[in-house]
Amino acid sequence: MSKDYRPVSKSRQLQPAMLAALAVLAFTCLCSLLLGAGETGPGAALAALIGQGDNAADFVVFELRAPRTLVGLAVGLALGVAGALLQAVTRNPLAEPGLLGVSAGSAFAVAVALALGASTATLRMFVAQLGALSGCLCVLGAVRLRGVGDDPVRLVLAGAALSSLLIALTSLLLLVDQHTADEIRFWVIGSVAGRNLGDLLSILPSFVLAGVLTLLIARPLAALALGEQVAVGLGHRPGLVRLLTMLVVALLVGGATAVAGPIIFVGLVVPYLARAIAGPDIRRTLWLCLPLGPIMVVGADIVARLLVRPSELPLGVLTALLGAPVLIAVVRARRLHAL
Amino acid sequence: MNLMHHPACRQRYGTGHGIAAALLLVFGLLMSMVATAAPRVLETAYGQVSIEGTPERVVTLYEGALDAALAAGVQPLAAIATRGGSDVADYIEQRAGDVAIVGTTRELNLEAIVSQQPDLILASPRLPKQQYELLSRIAPTVVPPGTGLTADGWKAETRLFGKALGRQDQIEAALAEIEQRAAALAEQVQTRYAGDDRLAYLVRWMPQGAIVMSTQLFSTGLLDAAGFDVRDSGLVGDGRPHSDPLSLENLARVDGDWLFLATLNEEGEEALQAAESSPAFARLEVAARDRVIPVDGQLWTSASGPLAATALLDRIEATVLDR
Repeated sequence: MSKDYRPVSKSRQLQPAMLAALAVLAFTCLCSLLLGAGETGPGAALAALIGQGDNAADFVVFELRAPRTLVGLAVGLALGVAGALLQAVTRNPLAEPGLLGVSAGSAFAVAVALALGASTATLRMFVAQLGALSGCLCVLGAVRLRGVGDDPVRLVLAGAALSSLLIALTSLLLLVDQHTADEIRFWVIGSVAGRNLGDLLSILPSFVLAGVLTLLIARPLAALALGEQVAVGLGHRPGLVRLLTMLVVALLVGGATAVAGPIIFVGLVVPYLARAIAGPDIRRTLWLCLPLGPIMVVGADIVARLLVRPSELPLGVLTALLGAPVLIAVVRARRLHAL
Repeated sequence: MNLMHHPACRQRYGTGHGIAAALLLVFGLLMSMVATAAPRVLETAYGQVSIEGTPERVVTLYEGALDAALAAGVQPLAAIATRGGSDVADYIEQRAGDVAIVGTTRELNLEAIVSQQPDLILASPRLPKQQYELLSRIAPTVVPPGTGLTADGWKAETRLFGKALGRQDQIEAALAEIEQRAAALAEQVQTRYAGDDRLAYLVRWMPQGAIVMSTQLFSTGLLDAAGFDVRDSGLVGDGRPHSDPLSLENLARVDGDWLFLATLNEEGEEALQAAESSPAFARLEVAARDRVIPVDGQLWTSASGPLAATALLDRIEATVLDR
């Protein structure tokens, strides 16, 4: 992570890593269609995939596993990219939407909306994104504080405090409001089970918008990594870039939270791996995050289905189990300093 | 020959009968006074507790205790909120009147309990010892011995609460009535539906899947008593009240002849609609046969006691027989 001294080396070609990641992603998605907590085994599922399945297998593969795989893909994509962007803009390798309270803010906003009687999916997403944006602005504010902004771990501590507060408030709503208790419970730990394609379609427009914006801000962000003055010298406006980045993060995290609930650590693990493979340049990291995020989320979802059959674990629990060791590894790494 | 047939003798005999009856009455009264004066000794989870007279200022810290007290004709001063709610359960709200809320299942407000100046506290079998020690310094506290999870455990609890209140007779009458009612209902159910048409499951619906309730609960026990063949598909571990959320892929495991769908949301029909919007649920045969019965989760998964049993049997009768 010593980006100041090592220019992006030409030997680190992106294409092979990208191809390998895409291959792993394809394999993960196939597994996601073949494996589940039910009685439809890989053989029956394969038969369904090539059009030879019976009624039950067709249903399980196309109506249950396919939608959750697609939702997992979208959520992984969004959280991976959001994590990379947030880390670039805060210049902190630990900045993660889940850890910093962005996901929790989003989920809390939805829980409040539900408690107030909102029920439509579109409104829910708008509220989730608004909640995420407020979370992002809190992060941006915290980074500007002396001490917090310079020290990656302190920012995470502040974020953890905010997260816990918001999760506690969400749980409080759960306690006092029986009408929405079951709906709100979902907003404490995320899951992709039982989500349908309608949910996915509702977040698609904001993901497309986020994608376009990401293409626009990738270069200025890379310049910002070289220092504020360099970026200004190159003709970029750091304030605007930061704000746009936060907007993108809010769109992505809010959308992902609206369909899958709060899922933490994906935004930490994915950019961490991407940087380890592709180096610190945000323009390369982002590309690699595209396949890595879905691999992590869909992969975790497969494990969540298989561990406690015939029940399932919530996806959010699995990503936390995978992510916590990475967090410790990053914090314990000898040279932890700002990106 | 027989002196008794002489009119005078008959007269004397009549008088003697009257005196004996009066003596018996006096003796009976004395006995009952002795009975009320002597403390009743209760076997509770934390040892013997003795209670005198008929307590007037009663605080119930358990939904089953509130129910038992009201069934016995005692109006408790304070109670706890139902699970997931901020007030007592809907089914009992009217009878409970303006009972004060002094906590939830998880958290008791000791100061609020003290301020009620109770002379009897009826608590949950799961009350921790530490809390018991605090509460029993406020007033005699009755904690039913834990019987593990059994479908009939609520009856023993109700009897214990009845004894604590000095109103065993009312409780026995209420319990007998429920048993009769359930037996009558079972007869109707069994005449109407064949033996292979009574397989029932009680589940809680959540968007990610269903939670299957144990067959050893208050509500599933009553379903069983009302003639249904209640099962859990082997999904519920020993001594556990319910299963983990079942994968949608395995929903067919609760596809019986009847599905009782409990929800903590007040609007049962809405919960049913939410469930039906899930393709995995809509595929169930029980859904296609329109035999999914939305039930109140407060009543079916949280409450217990004679009044709850009556409300529950009412619901079964109204939904299963009147169709």
